[in-house]
Amino acid sequence: MKVLLIEDDRETASYVARGLRENGHVVDHAATGRDGLFLAADGGHDVLVVDRMLPGLDGLGLVRALRETGVKAPVLFLTALGGVGDRVKGLEAGGDDYLVKPFAFAELLARLNALARRPPLVEVQAVLRVADLEMDRLRRTVTRGGRRVELQAREFQLLEYLMRHAERVVTRTMLLEAVWDFHFDPRTNIVETHMSRLRAKLAQPGAPELIHTIRGAGYALRAPAQPTQAGGASAGRAPA
Amino acid sequence: MRLPRLLRTASLRLAALYLLLFTASAVVLGAVVFWTTRAALDGQARARIQAEVASLRDEYQAGGLPRLIAAVEARGRGAGALDYLVQGAEGRRLAGEIAPLGQRRGWLRLDAAETDDGRGEHELVRALAVPFGEGIVVAVGDDFERIAEAEEAILRAFAWAIGLTLLLGVGGGAWLSHLFLRRVDAIGRVAEAIIEGDLARRVPVRGTGDDLDRLAATLNRMLDRIAILMESLRQVSNDIAHDLRTPLSRLGQRLEDARAHARSVADYERAVEGAAAEAEALLGTFAALLRIAEVEAGAQRAAFRWVDLSRLAETVADAFAPVAEDEGRALRAEIAPGVTVHGDQELLTQMLANLVENALRHTPPGSRVRVLLAEQASGDPASGPVLSVEDNGTGIPENERGRVLRRFHRLEQSRTTPGSGLGLSLVAAVAELHGARLGLEDAGPGLRVSLAFPAGHPGAVLSSANDA
Repeated sequence: MKVLLIEDDRETASYVARGLRENGHVVDHAATGRDGLFLAADGGHDVLVVDRMLPGLDGLGLVRALRETGVKAPVLFLTALGGVGDRVKGLEAGGDDYLVKPFAFAELLARLNALARRPPLVEVQAVLRVADLEMDRLRRTVTRGGRRVELQAREFQLLEYLMRHAERVVTRTMLLEAVWDFHFDPRTNIVETHMSRLRAKLAQPGAPELIHTIRGAGYALRAPAQPTQAGGASAGRAPA
Repeated sequence: MRLPRLLRTASLRLAALYLLLFTASAVVLGAVVFWTTRAALDGQARARIQAEVASLRDEYQAGGLPRLIAAVEARGRGAGALDYLVQGAEGRRLAGEIAPLGQRRGWLRLDAAETDDGRGEHELVRALAVPFGEGIVVAVGDDFERIAEAEEAILRAFAWAIGLTLLLGVGGGAWLSHLFLRRVDAIGRVAEAIIEGDLARRVPVRGTGDDLDRLAATLNRMLDRIAILMESLRQVSNDIAHDLRTPLSRLGQRLEDARAHARSVADYERAVEGAAAEAEALLGTFAALLRIAEVEAGAQRAAFRWVDLSRLAETVADAFAPVAEDEGRALRAEIAPGVTVHGDQELLTQMLANLVENALRHTPPGSRVRVLLAEQASGDPASGPVLSVEDNGTGIPENERGRVLRRFHRLEQSRTTPGSGLGLSLVAAVAELHGARLGLEDAGPGLRVSLAFPAGHPGAVLSSANDA
């Protein structure tokens, strides 16, 4: 994917840019809000990574301006401000996701993948399918290999999120935010516990595991036979 | 330098303003008295002249010209007598001291040259000239001197009064300013001493309950608050030194050790992994500290909205139930439906999650943890919602309960269990932000942590439906 990185801190910028390039993505970099606005207006980016605090035009103002000029590419805010109000302000200004520094590169990559490759039609798809796993979102039923799997409401949400992001890595934090609306890091293995229950319910004798643990990153739901997409489903190597 | 400073004080300026207003009102009062007195004296003088004219007319009608002349001559002789004129048909003066008036009639103002009392005294005279018939004109006049004297007396009295007022005002103003300034100086000296570092100093309070006393009391309360904040800052610094230095030095040691002893790539990898984990734990502690600071600053209150506490509690209980079960504990929820509070959803979620995590972490396996939400405290319909987390573990000794809310504080026996010790501090900060009363109680056995929220207004449940 083609990423526009607007970040004034040279070290962070080169860390992010190198990581993205190593994972096969194209990166444009701007060090000021004004340059970023200029590059973004040219269009063609799949996703924008914007620092909240930029010299000149700040991140919030930049995204507001972009949205006004009709740039629709999803925006992920990078910020050192971790306050509750800061995230809300970022989302209100037109950002789509928010990541607080310091962050793990795998987290950033997973979130960018989720943002950039969000299939536009997935919201209206009533039935999601991955391999022999099928979810009817209207009737709220799940079957694997034709056999009904009984899930609790939260497990259903968890699986739905995984299926909507099939073949891609989703991180623990993404799941905490999407499924439980937890915007903090609990010191308990909530996600792991729920995930292992979901796995147990989906497991069938002889059938391959669909939910994969990606070490140091999170989880991915993958159809067994399908070849992995470069960068999309891999954990993403952190830049050297 | 003393005088200019005194002149610059607010109280002296105020005194000067009062003085100005007072003087102005005294001048107005004086003017009114002056004019009314003058009008009254004037009226009296005219009445006297008119009465005299009427009496002379009677003389004339009774005895003709000779009797008139006789009367005028008789009356004009006494001390303080009025001035007269009897003017004949040819315009000549027949009697009296006033010079012939010619054709002038009615009220007249005669200057000194027109009167001659025969003693060489000339005076300003007001006269009334009236024709008595057959060409005879009689004029009666009175000099202005009496009125002028009265006026002068009034003016003199007021000049004295205003002079004294000015004197008292300036003197009193300066004196009051001086008193005021002395007390302000005292406050200033205390402030200076505090700036210099003597934080124990307090503004003197005289106990009179006046404005300056109230100000002093408010300042002292502010200073108490600052002292508490300073103490908590000092506490935090100590805690940071204590609880962050250890992992930081561990991190440093690991890296040092790797540099000195690592012989293979695998060694390095292990060292890096360990260092990364240590750094992550440190960042977690920092995030918690910053979050607490943010909550304690209270800015979040502006973003408060109605939060469905029932749903929030369900979500949290739901999230932790499998975790508890895997660890051999039972997590149960007893949640009243439709309970709302005015607050911050994220912080409330994190707070409850912290409480549940604490309960799970500090109880032995096999314990029972309950998340309870009631619309009111039992037996108190006026109270707000009560959210509590209760366990049947070992509990906290009563004398330790206050201390567990402090940052980084962990009970000695739980020092071995992981955690930054910040969980309950955050709970306390979030509770305070929401005006909720945080209570640690004996659940017999075990611990109950309860949060009593203030009662919401009646529209609470209605508006929450829109927010949710």
